[in-house]
Amino acid sequence: MLEQLLDASLWASVTRALIPVLLAAIGGMICERAGVFQISLEGMMMAGAFAAVAMAHVAGNVVIGSLAAATAAVALALILAFGAVSRKGNPIVLGVAINILAVGLTSFLLPQLFGVRGTFQPAGGVRITRIPVPGLSEIPFVGPVLFNMSALGYAALILIPATWFFLFRTQVGLRLRGVGERPLAAETLGVSPTRYKYLAVVASGVLAGLAGAQLSLGNVGVFAENMSSGRGWIAVVAVLLGRAHPVGVLGACLLFGFAEAFGFRLQGQGMAVQVTDALPFVVTLAALVLARKRFTRLLDLTAGNV
Amino acid sequence: MLEVYRHRASSAVTHPVTLALGAAFGLGGIIIAVTGGNPFAAFSDMLLGAFTGSGLRNTLGRSIPIVAMALAVSLAFRAGILNLGGEGQMLMGALTGTMIAITVPGPGYVVVPLALIGGALVGAAWALLSALGQTRVGVPLLITSLLLNYVARSITSYLVRFPFGEPGAAFATTSPVPPTARIPKMELLGMGRMSISLVFVLALVILLAVAYRRTVVGYESEMIGLSGPFSRYGGVNVERHTVAIMAAAGAIGGLVGTHLVTGETYRYIDADMIAQTGFAWTGLMVALLAFNRPLPILAAGILFAGLQIGGFAMERSSGVSWQLAQVIQALVIVALVSRFVVTWKRTGSDGDAPSEANTDPAHVGSV
Amino acid sequence: MTVELELRGITKRFPGVLACDRIDLTVRAGEIHCIVGENGAGKTTLMSVLYGLIQPDEGEIVVRGERTRIGSPLEAISLGLGMVHQAFKLFPTLTVTENVVFRQEPARLGIIDRKAAVGRVHHLAQAYGLSVDPRATVESLPVGVLQRVEIIKALYREASVLILDEPTAVLTPQERDRLFEVMRRLRDAGRTILFITHKLGEVMAVADRITVLRQGRAVAELDPGATTPAEISRHMTGRDVAPVRRGADEPVGDPVLSIRDLEVEGAHGLATVRGVSLDVRASEIVGIAAVAGNGQSELIEAIVGLRSVRAGHINLGDVDVTHAAVAMRRRAGLSYIPEDRHRVGTAAAATVAQNLLMGYQRSAELGGGRWLLPAVVDRHARDLCDRFSIRAPDTGAAAGTLSGGNLQRLVVAREMSHDSRLLIAEQPTRGVDIGAIAFIHNQILEAKRRGRAVLLVSAELTEIQALSSRILVMFEGRIVADLDPDAVDEAEIGLHMTGGASVGA
Repeated sequence: MLEQLLDASLWASVTRALIPVLLAAIGGMICERAGVFQISLEGMMMAGAFAAVAMAHVAGNVVIGSLAAATAAVALALILAFGAVSRKGNPIVLGVAINILAVGLTSFLLPQLFGVRGTFQPAGGVRITRIPVPGLSEIPFVGPVLFNMSALGYAALILIPATWFFLFRTQVGLRLRGVGERPLAAETLGVSPTRYKYLAVVASGVLAGLAGAQLSLGNVGVFAENMSSGRGWIAVVAVLLGRAHPVGVLGACLLFGFAEAFGFRLQGQGMAVQVTDALPFVVTLAALVLARKRFTRLLDLTAGNV
Repeated sequence: MLEVYRHRASSAVTHPVTLALGAAFGLGGIIIAVTGGNPFAAFSDMLLGAFTGSGLRNTLGRSIPIVAMALAVSLAFRAGILNLGGEGQMLMGALTGTMIAITVPGPGYVVVPLALIGGALVGAAWALLSALGQTRVGVPLLITSLLLNYVARSITSYLVRFPFGEPGAAFATTSPVPPTARIPKMELLGMGRMSISLVFVLALVILLAVAYRRTVVGYESEMIGLSGPFSRYGGVNVERHTVAIMAAAGAIGGLVGTHLVTGETYRYIDADMIAQTGFAWTGLMVALLAFNRPLPILAAGILFAGLQIGGFAMERSSGVSWQLAQVIQALVIVALVSRFVVTWKRTGSDGDAPSEANTDPAHVGSV
Repeated sequence: MTVELELRGITKRFPGVLACDRIDLTVRAGEIHCIVGENGAGKTTLMSVLYGLIQPDEGEIVVRGERTRIGSPLEAISLGLGMVHQAFKLFPTLTVTENVVFRQEPARLGIIDRKAAVGRVHHLAQAYGLSVDPRATVESLPVGVLQRVEIIKALYREASVLILDEPTAVLTPQERDRLFEVMRRLRDAGRTILFITHKLGEVMAVADRITVLRQGRAVAELDPGATTPAEISRHMTGRDVAPVRRGADEPVGDPVLSIRDLEVEGAHGLATVRGVSLDVRASEIVGIAAVAGNGQSELIEAIVGLRSVRAGHINLGDVDVTHAAVAMRRRAGLSYIPEDRHRVGTAAAATVAQNLLMGYQRSAELGGGRWLLPAVVDRHARDLCDRFSIRAPDTGAAAGTLSGGNLQRLVVAREMSHDSRLLIAEQPTRGVDIGAIAFIHNQILEAKRRGRAVLLVSAELTEIQALSSRILVMFEGRIVADLDPDAVDEAEIGLHMTGGASVGA
């Protein structure tokens, strides 16, 4: 057990499992700070995963694929922004509908555009590759874990301090937090809640789309129906558990990344895949129970004050 | 929850539901056109496939799980309980019911009810995990009910693959349900054979229609959905309602799951059942479209079932993938929620105080 | 002195209410100008017009000689107006500095210059004696300090006119005196202050000029040096001071509500009710007078069953209801008019009929527990609408469409129609029009005459004095005085409410 914990290859697979969830969770965190309840991360990831593979197939280029992923997810994000912010619709219902829409759209377009069902690999097997940092990646343990990631992986890790700086040190970040907390008070002082909420939702779209690209083009190299398989929801929980603070969110994501990687490890040792698949969700549920005092405001929402 | 969809009475044409359906079909048509199909041909294939000939029977058959799941959702949503765990409740109940049907010997009139009761109990128990998690532990039901779907998938997959699996099968499945333990079929209006579950679903529609409109519990649960603090003030036990409603919703999920195997496919095939969990989400959308009211749920459920059955027909004849049906359904909900919202304006200020609210609107979803 | 601000012929109508009726108001630069009036006189509406929150139907606003139209608070701020609301408009999780500089942050390239921001806040605080820690998080601060933050926020935005809307309602006497000190300093530094209140003692203490509003009209402009509280009061009420009398007291009966040594926890696990014992007898109205935040809300919540009790006993008649569910207490004969009628007392999205049912949905007269026939519910609702003059379009209309006065009538109708033996009325007339006030007062007195026990909590001392058979004063979670309303005056009650009697006397 202890040997496994110290094993660098386990930790390398932790970072791999972590990156998509972390990217999506950062987006969710920005929305949470802006006062938009964002539960469509799962659907936006799916849309991103599909668009990334589709455009990488057409263009033969992962950068274009990633941009397409962000664009597709932003399109879904705009549905939430329009419905929940401009029309004051229920964000939970919209989020659920967007998730269903994403599953429907991807499984509709897959046969419609490429004539296949189930999975699809882009032509030439293009995928997002890892970029080892020269020199640093040679460091024992730390090198393979931290300095042998995809560009999106580095971006996700840099985004943690960057988001912290944005939220707590910049004018836009301060106003965004104010809008999230008391939109009417912010409006009285001349800050438009609508504009900041749109900004946050679009940002979450970009990030969840890229998370999808990392998942399909990066981690596996193919698109598979329902491939996000709950990672978007885990990102939602990470925002809750991490109290929408970058450090907390990173911590929560690490926990899930570890659960997933550890599950893979157990699978390698002969444990049934059906059991190990459940591990991240069981860990997530356990963490929710342990952190239970934190959800009073969300509970208010679900206990009949919607 | 309800207030989001409340609307003023208006003519059928400008009714929000009509407009949402129109918008969704319009967008669906555009999607077909953009991806190289003919929307008019596709939609007419869909319509004919859904509501003519054997299509109508298939549509009614498919509306059984959809309407039942929608009724389960309406129970919870009316009371502001955001149960997203229909999937898991269905799967857990389905496997339990199937195993009872396979293993318990005896005549059908004993085994079939036993399987249904077993499925309902386990479905309810699975739903209670989230309910008690919220009322006793303080973890939001919205999140736990959803996460438990994935856990339920794993548990059922494992059980069907290993302990309950048919030995030597190429894929994960149980052995077939013996003919005596299957839910019987009936002749339906000359259209062919139809599961008698349809009768029970219709009975449930009527039961809930009466319960919602004419009973104290129906009133109390609606009030919880409209305002938690107001209900507590009036002596409504919000926690007890939450637990009871979740148990009922989970039981319906378990019944639907059991019906899908012992009434339709006669084998619990893992991959198949995971695909069938789509009924939970279709049911959720039906409940939303019908404003949680039972009779409209029946109508909307048949409509959405028809969309799916028609989708298969459309795929066969026009080559447009049937998943378009799912896209259109989700678009209906998006259109409905985005476009038609009543904004409650407090008319008449509070005497001296101007109508300017002194607090921000309910802050949605903060930690 | 130059004229800073002038309102001419301001008129504002709400459905069924003429909130402001051709009000003229002239405010000179560098004065503390008091706007006084009873509830419903139009004070807050007038200030909301001035601050751009609502638009007047008629009239004009002149700021420093220029006619202007104030379309939004933002425009008001840019004209040098600053408002401190009754309910503060601060961001709880942000720091004091972040709240103050919000949207006008000192920054370079979008990055906030935190040192400069803290420095400016500190400087403003120092200059006017508004002591506050610029780095503290707002949610951790007591209300008195929050008020200072709001004032600093207005000053930071270079407000030359500060509007303080009933600023003393939430303050302890010490905090109030400090606020007055700050107001004088601000005036001496050349700022103009509009001070809205209905407390005459405060008016006499700080005002340079007084404008009295009554029923939407400006009825007098007075000089504090040349007037008396009695004269102001006469202008406010439109009559010589002869408060509504409750009439002769009936002989009281047995205790209906008995509370012994009650302790209740507040929001942060601290005891907010600390050993309260009291009895309310049949044919008796017991009034509880207290400054907001002294445990009276928690006491009421504990009695009605919405907050759990740490120690002590609550008896309703012979029944011990200390830990009983709300429904059980209602069955035992408790009715409750809650302070917050929008959130607690009604559900805005539910129909009038559904709202009128709550709490009695299982009562025998409506079906007896299981069934609830729409026709019966509707008849019940129409009956109550008639008896209590609730003006609603129909019983199927959403309660959220009713005016404040009608909504309160709805709550009163529901709670009084079942003639429970104990009525708890919490701020029953807050923010309702004068017609509804008289109606509600008569209903409460009528309940007493019928032999019911009434526990009344109100921030309005006139209301407490006019209705109560006995007055209990709460201070810091304890009952500190049991007074005879005929033997005390407002000043004495006020002294007890601020803990002054035990310290000073």
